[in-house]
Amino acid sequence: MTEIVRIQHVSKTFQDKKAVNNVSFSIKKGEVIAILGPNGAGKTTTISMLLGLLHPTSGSIQLFGLNPSEKKVREKIGTMLQEVSVMNGLKSKELLELIRNYYPNPLSLKELIQLTGLTDTDLRTRAEKLSGGQKRRLSFALALSGNPDLIMFDEPTVGMDITSRNRFWKTIKQLAAQGKTIIFTTHYLQEADDVAERILLFHNGSIIADGTPAEIKARIAKQAVSFTTNDPFQAFEKLNQHSVVTNIYQKNERIIVQTGDTDAVLALLFEEKVGAQQIQIENGKLEEAFEQLTNNHQEAM
Amino acid sequence: MKILRLQCKAEILRVLRNPYFVFWSLLMPIVFYFIFTKVVNTGAPDKAEWQAHYLMSMTAFSVMGSSIMTLGIRIVQERQHGWATFMRLTPLSDTVYFTAQMMGQTVIHLFSIIVIFTAGALINGVSLTALEWISSGAWILIASTPFLALGTLIGLMRRVETAAGISNVIYMAMAVAGGMWMPLEIMPKIMQTIGKWLPSYNFGNGAWAIVQGNAPEWRNILILIAYLVLFMLLSKYIRRKQEAM
Repeated sequence: MTEIVRIQHVSKTFQDKKAVNNVSFSIKKGEVIAILGPNGAGKTTTISMLLGLLHPTSGSIQLFGLNPSEKKVREKIGTMLQEVSVMNGLKSKELLELIRNYYPNPLSLKELIQLTGLTDTDLRTRAEKLSGGQKRRLSFALALSGNPDLIMFDEPTVGMDITSRNRFWKTIKQLAAQGKTIIFTTHYLQEADDVAERILLFHNGSIIADGTPAEIKARIAKQAVSFTTNDPFQAFEKLNQHSVVTNIYQKNERIIVQTGDTDAVLALLFEEKVGAQQIQIENGKLEEAFEQLTNNHQEAM
Repeated sequence: MKILRLQCKAEILRVLRNPYFVFWSLLMPIVFYFIFTKVVNTGAPDKAEWQAHYLMSMTAFSVMGSSIMTLGIRIVQERQHGWATFMRLTPLSDTVYFTAQMMGQTVIHLFSIIVIFTAGALINGVSLTALEWISSGAWILIASTPFLALGTLIGLMRRVETAAGISNVIYMAMAVAGGMWMPLEIMPKIMQTIGKWLPSYNFGNGAWAIVQGNAPEWRNILILIAYLVLFMLLSKYIRRKQEAM
């Protein structure tokens, strides 16, 4: 399999804020990748560098073995940006016809309509009069118009209703089946889990996990034991000494102890006499765990 | 080449569908022309001369307006709304994009000139020799370059509202102070002195000279070139500063 994207030791600093910190990864042809992370994790900065819109402060980025801003690369990529915009004064159809001409082997208008669900009304409407949803469909069609090998989306489903969202992901899976390489950013774990074959989990500008959704889930959806106590400080102290405890934190009065072995932690609670009350065993919801992992990353490592 | 042609076509279509353009660059100059040659008695000694003179004023006014406003505001809009970013990600080269915009703008100017000249001929039966029609039209077309450069300069502003406000003020001030609405000769001395250094006056004066059977003065040409260079250097400087951020 050929390597489509190669990022090596890339960092990006804005003024004195480090947005992306020494990130390296490579992506092979046909992979569907989710760049997952909370807001401010460096997702958009990373994708902007992949697109050649921002230059890394240090490190190197290659797409198809070339610099991202080369014309040869531009001919092979399609993109939908976070801020959806279209050129005023042209009808959707005119705009699509125009953009298609920029590429050596564009998709036909018919194929684009079939993939994106653009309607006749959409096509006849002038860009500035399109509704939010119509604009999304048009910019999706614009992204695909050059029949790209590599497709990049920055937060593609923000502002989409459920129907359009489902349709969008259905199309993405269809494109993936054709062997296209797809990279998208999202802050919804569920979305990454449903669509991506591989997740790059970003936090504070670094990749903290890189693997299949199943691997990531196993890592982050930890089981936990929670309880209340009159002396949380002592409980923290005592429990932290045991290696079976992977993470310990407090949330709404309750102390939450993350672990791979809840039975062992239960035993510990009584051995260490931490005064645990209202004990619960929690199987850890995925979203919550993701939130925890990204929030408490420094403590957890 | 095919791409450039299609791109130009798209640009022209966009301008023609822009209500701002139709209002400010076609309707307004023709209405003004009608008012100041038909309705208001300006007391000009030579009526035919005044009608030809004012037709040039209004045509120059129109072309100056679409250079500064239509072009400038559109550039800001495209950048602010992220369209410019999207275009950067397509294989279309910046040069083709820019050239097409300029060529499209020129075709639009030619169109405005023809429309307003025709209106002048119909409203007042302005009659010039074929050579005068062609050379005054050509002057307005070519000498508008400094205003296109000014439009691109305005295009560097960050917000559409600012760009629209500022370009409107510049446009109106230059039109009035440059003698496009009323001849500079009837204005106070100080205004005349300032006016003669404005690009708008020098732009208009070339066309006024042509319809009187003279050639544009060298002074007009040189001043316009100086403004062109100034605006281009300024854009270059500002763009570099913006990129450095």
